[in-house]
Amino acid sequence: MSSSPKHIKDENEDTLTPAARPREAMKSELLTLNMGPQHPATHGVLRVEIKTDSEVVAEATPYLGYLHRCMEKHSENVDYRGVIPFVDRMDYLAAINMEWGYVLAVEKMLGVEVPKRAEYLRVIVGELQRVASHLMFFGTYAIDLGAFSPFLYAFQDREQILRLFEELSGARLLYNYFWIGGVWNDATDSQLKRIEEFCDTMDENLKKYHSLVGENSIFIGRTANVGIMDTQMCLDFGATGPVLRGSGFARDLRKAKPYSLYSELDFDIITGTGAKGTLGDCWDRYDVRMREMHESLKIIRQCLAGIEAGPVMGKVKKIIKLPEGEIFMSTECPRGELGYHIVSDGAAKPYRVKVKSSCFTHVGMLPEVAPGLLIADFVATIGSIDIVLGEVDR
Amino acid sequence: MSTPTISQESKAHYIVQEPLTLTGWFRNVFGAIKSVTTGMGITFKYIYGVKPVSIEYPEVREVLPENSRSRLFNDVENCISCLQCANACPVDCIYITAVKRGADAPKIKTKDGTPIRLDLVQYTIDTALCCYCGLCTTVCPTECLTHTTDYEFASYTIGDMKYDYLAPDIRAWRHRIVK
Repeated sequence: MSSSPKHIKDENEDTLTPAARPREAMKSELLTLNMGPQHPATHGVLRVEIKTDSEVVAEATPYLGYLHRCMEKHSENVDYRGVIPFVDRMDYLAAINMEWGYVLAVEKMLGVEVPKRAEYLRVIVGELQRVASHLMFFGTYAIDLGAFSPFLYAFQDREQILRLFEELSGARLLYNYFWIGGVWNDATDSQLKRIEEFCDTMDENLKKYHSLVGENSIFIGRTANVGIMDTQMCLDFGATGPVLRGSGFARDLRKAKPYSLYSELDFDIITGTGAKGTLGDCWDRYDVRMREMHESLKIIRQCLAGIEAGPVMGKVKKIIKLPEGEIFMSTECPRGELGYHIVSDGAAKPYRVKVKSSCFTHVGMLPEVAPGLLIADFVATIGSIDIVLGEVDR
Repeated sequence: MSTPTISQESKAHYIVQEPLTLTGWFRNVFGAIKSVTTGMGITFKYIYGVKPVSIEYPEVREVLPENSRSRLFNDVENCISCLQCANACPVDCIYITAVKRGADAPKIKTKDGTPIRLDLVQYTIDTALCCYCGLCTTVCPTECLTHTTDYEFASYTIGDMKYDYLAPDIRAWRHRIVK
């Protein structure tokens, strides 16, 4: 870092009128600093070019494309079932929720009836994935801010979810579990019982983790009043998910446009309160995610009570051909709203699959928030919007 | 290109903090003590109360669940060369060559009674390309192509990852894998 900034006003200089101040002395150069692409705090391969004035960020420009894998283009060359492994790989921390939007869109266009048990399983697994994803956020965010052990606690719980998913679907991260018309495998009673036990221990653990991290005075000092994204800014940029809800605006697609079984389930929309600082700061976004996990567990418990026996796959033809036309379907993912725009020309392969990712929007908000933040606070802000670069670049 | 400088309005993001009062100072001290005691309390519980969950890998090996999707295995004895797996594969990593069986050749059947009309000449899977999505195993009509629970198959060259399932050494896995 360069020496003390020359252009920042000294107290004594205030007596001078602006005209009397030597203009050349006021000028100073900004130091360009590359954050990433291999920076642990950027959660993947995001490169942010920041112009720093000593410790203060003057400008931040994110550069994307380091994880671009042509997902959308490649989807045009495989059949409708073959797209699911690709959408899995977008947001690899919440693959189930990525599949869900795609599968819903195709089902709606085909007019396939999904069996009730499959719908219940989808909600249970989707909400478990949300918990797993938020746990990952909790752990990595604590690492960003210098605490290591919360990461290990979070992974211990996340491991139980992943183990369950491995038994259900066969894979630990990239599941290919939701199929067009239902789900791949049925869950056994003992597995459902294990989920119930997990919900109970998780409720206890979440309270413990919140008292360990969220109520910690160092954590509050690092996150409260930092990286404020108010409601107006969020709406201007089109932010969704915990970032928007953290600014105090209650919008959740599960309530606004209920898909699957969400209209029958009872849960609350969590919004930021601004309890520790200003509304819409990093602490609020953290808090929204922590409380959302409790809501997810509440939803899972309701589903476990209501689940009924039956088939898990609806009747779908062997070769799927969508009718000519297009559809847009968006779902509430752990990181925000994810939309799929599928265009079909009547063939067995999609004509176009366009993904509207929430993380992409959130990365776009960084240059707006960054000016005036300290470098360490900028890291805290990037962590708090919880981006996954696989979803940004696709 | 002109060098950008900090504009005045960008500093508006700073929240002006209130000056520290005496009660504020005591509140800070109390908050710090409280945070440290709760944090340390939880940590100490983990030292003695919680048993370790890490698996010491080479000595202890985790048993994967039954339907875990790991290395693919094709039981060529039961394969009817229908090409459905190759068509379903989203990354095109299955290479199959088959020729028509002669009319006078002895009639053979798979284990479940499906007649084999094509002679398999080549059945190769490029495991390095495979994305373990499991779409090929679900379309297999004779269920000869399966995911196994083998997960230790690193190799020195990428060419070694191409498995020719007609080769005798890979056929020998059958005794270990197929129950």
